[in-house]
Amino acid sequence: MEKQRKQEQQPSRVRSFLTGDTFKALLPLIGFVVIILVMNIMTEGRILQPKKLRLLLSQIYYPTIVATGVFFIMTLGSIDFTEGSTLGVASIVVSALSFTSIPLAILGGILTGAAIGAINGFFHVKFKLQSFIVTICTMYLFRGVCAYFTTETAVPASKAIRAMDQDWLKITITLAVLLIAWFLFRFTRIGNDVKAVGSGETAARFSGVRTDRVKFLAFVAAGALTGLAAFVNVVKVGSITATAGNQLETQILITLVLGGLPITGGAKVRFSNVVVGTLMYAVLNSGLSILGYEPQVQQLIKGIVFLVFVALTIDRKALKVIK
Amino acid sequence: MEQKHLLVAEHIDKRFGITHAVNDVSLTIDAGEIRGLIGENGSGKSTFCQMLCGIYTIGGGTFTLDGQELHIRNQVEANRAGISIIVQEMGTLSGLTVAENIYLGHEEPFMHMGIKDTRAMNRSAQKLLDEYGFGRIRAGQMIDQYNFEDRKLVEIVKATYMKPKILVIDETTTALSQNGRLELYKIMDAVRADGRSVIFISHDLGEVLSRTDTVSVLRDGEYIDTVRTKDVSEDDLKRLMVGREIGNAYYRTDYGEPISSEVVLSVQDVSVPGEIEGITFDLHRGEILGFGGLSECGMHEVGKAIFGASWDRTGKVSLADGTEINDIPTAIKHSVAYTSKDRDNESIIVNESIRNNIVLPSLEDLALQGLLYGGKLNRFADKHAKDMQIKMQSVNQFVSDLSGGNKQKVVLARWIGKGSDILVLDSPTRGIDVKVKQAIYALMDEMRKNGKSMIMISEEIPELLGMSDRIFVMKDGKISGEFMRSPQLSEEDLIAKMV
Repeated sequence: MEKQRKQEQQPSRVRSFLTGDTFKALLPLIGFVVIILVMNIMTEGRILQPKKLRLLLSQIYYPTIVATGVFFIMTLGSIDFTEGSTLGVASIVVSALSFTSIPLAILGGILTGAAIGAINGFFHVKFKLQSFIVTICTMYLFRGVCAYFTTETAVPASKAIRAMDQDWLKITITLAVLLIAWFLFRFTRIGNDVKAVGSGETAARFSGVRTDRVKFLAFVAAGALTGLAAFVNVVKVGSITATAGNQLETQILITLVLGGLPITGGAKVRFSNVVVGTLMYAVLNSGLSILGYEPQVQQLIKGIVFLVFVALTIDRKALKVIK
Repeated sequence: MEQKHLLVAEHIDKRFGITHAVNDVSLTIDAGEIRGLIGENGSGKSTFCQMLCGIYTIGGGTFTLDGQELHIRNQVEANRAGISIIVQEMGTLSGLTVAENIYLGHEEPFMHMGIKDTRAMNRSAQKLLDEYGFGRIRAGQMIDQYNFEDRKLVEIVKATYMKPKILVIDETTTALSQNGRLELYKIMDAVRADGRSVIFISHDLGEVLSRTDTVSVLRDGEYIDTVRTKDVSEDDLKRLMVGREIGNAYYRTDYGEPISSEVVLSVQDVSVPGEIEGITFDLHRGEILGFGGLSECGMHEVGKAIFGASWDRTGKVSLADGTEINDIPTAIKHSVAYTSKDRDNESIIVNESIRNNIVLPSLEDLALQGLLYGGKLNRFADKHAKDMQIKMQSVNQFVSDLSGGNKQKVVLARWIGKGSDILVLDSPTRGIDVKVKQAIYALMDEMRKNGKSMIMISEEIPELLGMSDRIFVMKDGKISGEFMRSPQLSEEDLIAKMV
């Protein structure tokens, strides 16, 4: 009898570990190590060569900046699909202004992004529309704006701005964004407020959190950061075509989920999700290209990895529709 | 003649993580018996029954029904085996009709080649409703058109029409009015007369004593004893549940203390469309002001309106220094606290740690030059959690793991931590066991003596009579009566103004 009962409990213990909190907390790190190992073995060590590493790093600057902003939105339990089109529109603004003055171009990019974020936030908060509905609509809208300015020819940027394409500058900007965001998330009310809204919006409101303001500002901040990322993007690519920032939104979503951010947001969010996620995505991405897979196959593999991660990290206790 | 054992539970066990919710419980229930199952919050009575009904998987041990060992994986299988449950929370599904709810999971008789015969199902459901005497509920209507009580009645039909051998009633009566309760009691008696059995879970010991044949007591997940109802008193049951003597010092015992003349909060002509109208009163220093009435009388909205949480309030809520309260952050900043009747949604963030729940309203006070340090927050949360004697492993534990009583302690800990002077307590002891109730009353009395003022909104009349310095009774959104604290004041006096 005793023995039988113990045997029955055995498989459930494995399962309870797989669905348990400890495992979920460790999953991003385990995944990171596994992905690096697998990619390293499959590419026979090529991925860790200095030249490849530099290439790998050069791909992650602007997505990291964007992901940092979206991190706050997803902590709220909301979602944003406009990063790609925002990056496109803001890049056009940056390029056009780069002929007048570089600081003006940077400012213009940030303001454009913030304005788009404000539109998203306004409709989400004032009209109580779910964020994914709002941002899917605005994604189409601003994709259209982007296409309108780039159909005839690509929008070129000035030589001066292209001359700024240097690693130290991009590293400095990216690290500064990460550090400031980490500091705000960890040591000020901002982090507590966004997490509280993500875990339970009504209760947060009754605890004195100005929930509408927090949500609106998160969208504005995410837009502004995407605008800043547009500058880094223009510096790198030099001219803007209709496909600028295409599918960036899904890339960011995958990045954050790979980093272990529960798609429901809330209490279990960690800032490390951003860093781990961007690195994992970069390793996965460049590993797949080094291996010479077709882009379609790459997309397929990323989709599968994404699904597996969502299934493993989602907080089923907090399960609800994404706001 | 020996009684026939209908249900035998042997060594039933269940763990949730490190919490041992049900610990090796064995008991037997005879045919034709109404068995009360009582215990404090978190004693494991609901978990035990939910394993029997297939809602939770059985952690260990066996249930044997009528000599057959049960292997149940879900509620539909439980129903087929002859076990059904009426749950504590809402058990009907919105978006379906009454008939669809009643036959949920048992649609086969109405299916013809994969197509549902809606009319036959409605006819059959209506027949059931008429038989139960609930003919005013129409089978073809959407369930959403009916109020909470009517939906509970639909649930009762759903759980009993197939004549289960064991009917589990989990804290259902708190959701029902007197009439609804009488209907339920009739059904319980009918089940017994038929040689079948009822497991009846309730916090209302008076009800348990008058309605059951035997009572089993659980404490901290363990089986304590089963007694014959007619041999015991309410105090005996309390002692078994708590494991020690509960004194008479349940409510306040003082009478005739004058209320301070110092007004701390003034409410003038406050209205919320469709909810409350022209509410005007003053709250004094050190006063416990009770608000009573029927559930829909608007008293719950009064609490929200004072806290600045109503959407479209008119009128004026002001403090002694003239500060007007129109939104929640202002209320909290000026020492007003609120605990909601809807604890899990409005009072507390369930999917958060105890720590973060306790510190949330006090973040501004805890910040040094706008910066928050983890160690300081931990110490703050830890101190107030321990002062409230919250049963927990650490403050990092999630609130979702706690029982109702402990959740309420977290809610109170955060406002005591905040140092609020005016507390609006809506149904502070709702769904909470005797021991925690006693602790909350003692805390209220202590706060009162320290000059804190409280508004206690409650559906429990004894609690209002026992704790309040002054009581307002509400009816149809307006204040319909005012009573001063007095030993002569009776339940009937208040009820007369409620209906």
